[in-house]
Amino acid sequence: MVLAAIAALGALWLSRTDPQPRADIRFVSAEVFTLDPQRMSWQQDLRVARALYEPLLTRDAVTGLPKAGLAQSWVCSDDGRTWTFSLRPNAAWSDGSAVSANDVRYAWMRALLPDLATDFAGIQLRIEGAEAFLRWRAQALAAHAESPGDPHDLWSRTRDAFDRLVAVRSPDDHTLVVTLVQPVPYWLDLMTFPTTSPVQERQAERFRRIDPASGAVRWETAWTKPGALVTNGPYQLEAWHYKRSMRMVASPTWWNHASMRNRSIELVPIADPGTAVLAFGTGSVDWICDVAVDWRSDMADQRRAWDARVEPTARRLEVDGLEGDDLIAALPAPGPGERRDLVVIPAFGTEFWQFNCRPTLPDGSANPFAIAGVRRAFARCVDRAAIVDRVTRLGEPTTTTLVPRGAIPGYESPAGLSMDLERARAELSAAGWSDRNGDGVPEDARGTPFPSVTLLYSVSVDRYKFIALALRDMWRTALGVDVQLVGKDTKFFKDDLKQGKFMIARGNWYGDYADPLTFLELLETGNGNNDRGYSNPAYDALLHEAASTRDPAQRLAILSHAEALLMDHDLPVLPLCQLTAVYMVDPASLAGVSHQPMLEDEFWRMHQRTEAERAALSTLGREAAR
Amino acid sequence: MSIGSMILRRSVQLPLVLGAVFLVTFSLMWLVPGNPMESEGRRPPPEIAALFERSYAMEDPVSFGMQYLDRASGVAWLAGRHDRPFDLGPSLRHADWTVNEIIAAGLPVSMALGALAMVFALAIGLGAGIVAGLRPGSLGDAVGQGVSVIGISLPGFVVGSVLSAIFCAWLQWFPVATWDGWSSAVLPALALSLPFAAAIARLVRYGMLEDMRSDHVRTAMAKGRSRTGAAVHHALKNALLPVLSYLGPATAAAMTGSFVVEKVFAVPGIGRHFVEGVLGKDVTLVMGIVLCYSSLLVLLNLAVDLLYRVVDPRIEAG
Repeated sequence: MVLAAIAALGALWLSRTDPQPRADIRFVSAEVFTLDPQRMSWQQDLRVARALYEPLLTRDAVTGLPKAGLAQSWVCSDDGRTWTFSLRPNAAWSDGSAVSANDVRYAWMRALLPDLATDFAGIQLRIEGAEAFLRWRAQALAAHAESPGDPHDLWSRTRDAFDRLVAVRSPDDHTLVVTLVQPVPYWLDLMTFPTTSPVQERQAERFRRIDPASGAVRWETAWTKPGALVTNGPYQLEAWHYKRSMRMVASPTWWNHASMRNRSIELVPIADPGTAVLAFGTGSVDWICDVAVDWRSDMADQRRAWDARVEPTARRLEVDGLEGDDLIAALPAPGPGERRDLVVIPAFGTEFWQFNCRPTLPDGSANPFAIAGVRRAFARCVDRAAIVDRVTRLGEPTTTTLVPRGAIPGYESPAGLSMDLERARAELSAAGWSDRNGDGVPEDARGTPFPSVTLLYSVSVDRYKFIALALRDMWRTALGVDVQLVGKDTKFFKDDLKQGKFMIARGNWYGDYADPLTFLELLETGNGNNDRGYSNPAYDALLHEAASTRDPAQRLAILSHAEALLMDHDLPVLPLCQLTAVYMVDPASLAGVSHQPMLEDEFWRMHQRTEAERAALSTLGREAAR
Repeated sequence: MSIGSMILRRSVQLPLVLGAVFLVTFSLMWLVPGNPMESEGRRPPPEIAALFERSYAMEDPVSFGMQYLDRASGVAWLAGRHDRPFDLGPSLRHADWTVNEIIAAGLPVSMALGALAMVFALAIGLGAGIVAGLRPGSLGDAVGQGVSVIGISLPGFVVGSVLSAIFCAWLQWFPVATWDGWSSAVLPALALSLPFAAAIARLVRYGMLEDMRSDHVRTAMAKGRSRTGAAVHHALKNALLPVLSYLGPATAAAMTGSFVVEKVFAVPGIGRHFVEGVLGKDVTLVMGIVLCYSSLLVLLNLAVDLLYRVVDPRIEAG
């Protein structure tokens, strides 16, 4: 026992970290995978990247629109292909040195290295010569693997190839000129994406290693650690302990440092959803980025109860000019059975179920869902309102389109297919399936009953199972078809999706930039993320036509036409509702968390309210209530 | 057999055991579907993914496994092929960390938690076991028995959630979901210790009951020893032997981390890293932790065998 006690003491001492005062803002999120901006892909990584790095433009957390970031101004050539960005003269790295246009070029070259397999290389691939560079590098690596030469020589040839091939130039330290393959109307929006952030070449080169056998470059893990990582955003990295905490402090070298409303933020990766809620309850954390407890629907009910009670007061306060978090903070505090600290934010993404559109199923049998009419019939049976009110119980906005309705200015969404059981049965019999022998099950002309339909979903959370159960009942009742549920672990689920081993499967998609194409390209023939195997030459032609259309309004009209083809006729995916972010944050304590559908936060604007501020707001609220 | 030859034999066994464990785990990990590089929905084009796998030498499991073992065992370092020994490679999923860094950060945490849990388990288990063994059928015995049944049968996430709801949220005696210092270690250690305490209590109780009826204890009592004195001086010593042999694997199990307890209390320990590594198919991380865990297990078993000989010299180490 004494031995064990000594061991405990020793190990506790080994596992200690330097004690720190509580960060101004502590938030719960999943652990970050990487702080290398070019390699990022996950939501939690991108969120932290917006605190540490600053790309050419940033997205305003209140308006949701792109605004000047590292670049203070920009111009576009008449043909829409060449962009010239002027960098802020006072933009500085966290080590005090100036950010140069070359650091952006270096970062973009990294994004295009096949060695890193970055998920968002697609952004830079829109630049002239980028694809040629990527191919050149891939071939050079393959040749090196065959007969290894000098790996350092390969690297310097790669740098030369980038300079020679890719149309990203820096005539001086503060100017970046980019020429695109063809005009990209949403290019400025793409420039806010964290994977386009600059990387300080001087520091990064210190940690670059080359594998002699493959010739591939890799950056040492020490590069992204406190003390080594140099960043250009509002914060700099102070401490990072794996799955324990990541602490960032306000960077005095950031050009807009004077406007910052807090001094430090800390990511706390609490994995257990219940523990996270408990930590929020004790005030140990201020914001949970993804409330995943089973009882969150009940909490959403409590929020709705509070919303309903304070609604008249809220109207009056709005007239007085209060809005957003201030308005919420001014309203009467929640009573028993009510709460105001759960926020359900409709995001720029869509939850859907997807049909396998290939002519045959993996077992070789004919796929009934290869026929668009059958897909339409199934879609017509779905009561979306019942699902969000009684199954998921979060009140998500329902949708009949893939691109979130109203999210893109000037874009007109098609109508899509709403619930209509009569038309559903008509569609099914027009597709050749009707109940010919009176047993309630539809048969084809030869009398073969409609095959048993399988619904594939992942069992990581209960949500998809519950939705699948609801869909099963709707389709059984309306069409008389047999429906089976197949729940699989996420890994198996993703594998099955990729290999087309499903009839109907759950799915979702977040848009990366404010343009319909971020959703519509999912259904393009041959797209790497087109799990449905959907292919319609007419659809592909419309996307192609849009790509070569200069007039923005006309282009959006063509895309709208393309989506109408998807949502009114072909229906490879069956949209259900808008994706939502479920936050736990009390606007009366922490102000400034973004409610924009893009979920892109500017941490530097967030602040803890003082007692005086809270008192002033609630006085306003009391006056309005009277 | 002398102690020296026992240690020698075990140190020859160690690499064999590790090799076998490596082979089995590695094959299983490789057969699990999924891709550690897989990210949120977006997929790189297949040719780029292939290139990436090649840069990690992943397209051929045999050469990947051999290279891994070569570097992990330190053979490559001895032979001058690699610049450091025991290099467990980069984590495939958490690209900013090497497996060595992850283990170095997580293992002390789990060991502190496990060691503290064993202190609690011994204190609670021995106390309850002795009380029960001295007065079988008494109220104390019934309470002890009841608690140990609960301790064995209640899963960690229930105990953990109840403990943190009472002591963190309601009474606010302990911080929630942090890991610094003693105060944050108490509750997770308590939750982790309960099943071990229960097992120890039962072992001690039965050992004492058995021994109290044995000839040497009855002789001691006949010679005028009090019941308690006889129990403490004679019965307890024998009753502790099974506890000792239980302690080896129990300490190893407690120290290598409990996924459930670590998750509920947000403890950044090795148990959580291991399970999350398996779920994410992080081959290098899982292999690194498995190698580390098996070495610990072999060494702890050796330590227990040595202790055994000290306590009971009649036992020949096998």
